[in-house]
Amino acid sequence: MPTAPFADRKTGAHLELHLRPTLFIPELKSRKKFPALEEMVAHLAEQKVARQAGAVLEVLRQREALGSTGIGKGIAIPHGRSTMVAERAVLLARSTRGIEFDATDGNPVHLCFLIVAPPTEHDPVYLQLLAEIVKSVRLARPRQRLLEASNFDRIRTILLGQLAHE
Amino acid sequence: MNDQLQALVALQDLDLLIREAKDPERATQEEELGFPLGGVDKLERTRERLAKQIDDRLLQLYERMSRRYDRVVVRVEGSVCLGCFMGLPTAATRRVSDSRRVENCENCGRILYRI
Repeated sequence: MPTAPFADRKTGAHLELHLRPTLFIPELKSRKKFPALEEMVAHLAEQKVARQAGAVLEVLRQREALGSTGIGKGIAIPHGRSTMVAERAVLLARSTRGIEFDATDGNPVHLCFLIVAPPTEHDPVYLQLLAEIVKSVRLARPRQRLLEASNFDRIRTILLGQLAHE
Repeated sequence: MNDQLQALVALQDLDLLIREAKDPERATQEEELGFPLGGVDKLERTRERLAKQIDDRLLQLYERMSRRYDRVVVRVEGSVCLGCFMGLPTAATRRVSDSRRVENCENCGRILYRI
């Protein structure tokens, strides 16, 4: 898995601001990439982050056409910017059974961080968020703890703790 | 929102993705994080297909305004255009709500939608 050269190495402040218990799916029903994305975007629509689920899903599909966002070691970070997104948001979804995500290492994905944002042309936070997430799941032990965590608060603590330690 | 506006929104989002993928600095940043950005030509073919679904006059307007603004299709919040943040006249605000029509901001000319 690659390193995270653009992360805010001191605080992980961007991720902290974007982690919300309402944007957490403890166990995804879908086991394939696009149905899983659909399930996550539907959740964003329920939470009023996505104004039109179809348009947001289409952006994510097109982004996947550029290359899979399954970066290996059971992690996927799909991301996209759409006119139909109300605010920048991170949705975290888990799948203990695993999702076929066409990941770079060919392994199923167990942790999925979906980043969406409005189509602001210059949004440095969007890339910094991406970098912080990559950094927070770099090590095997915290990844395992994230899968085993019993609730969202625990997950949040693990992710932010990981960013603080590095 | 009518089909034409939906197609315009999809086109606008796709244009942003293509611009980012073609921006060497941005592409390098994503690739260093582990996200490959290949296959832009595939997205450009998708764009061609999508553009064919849009009425010629509307597409020309979009293309012309894209040279001026990053975002051509913008939301109306209350009676304010979220492109130029100017208030719209009451009649225009009402027309934006009519999903059969495509309405422009009288101040900046951007294409408006309301959800």
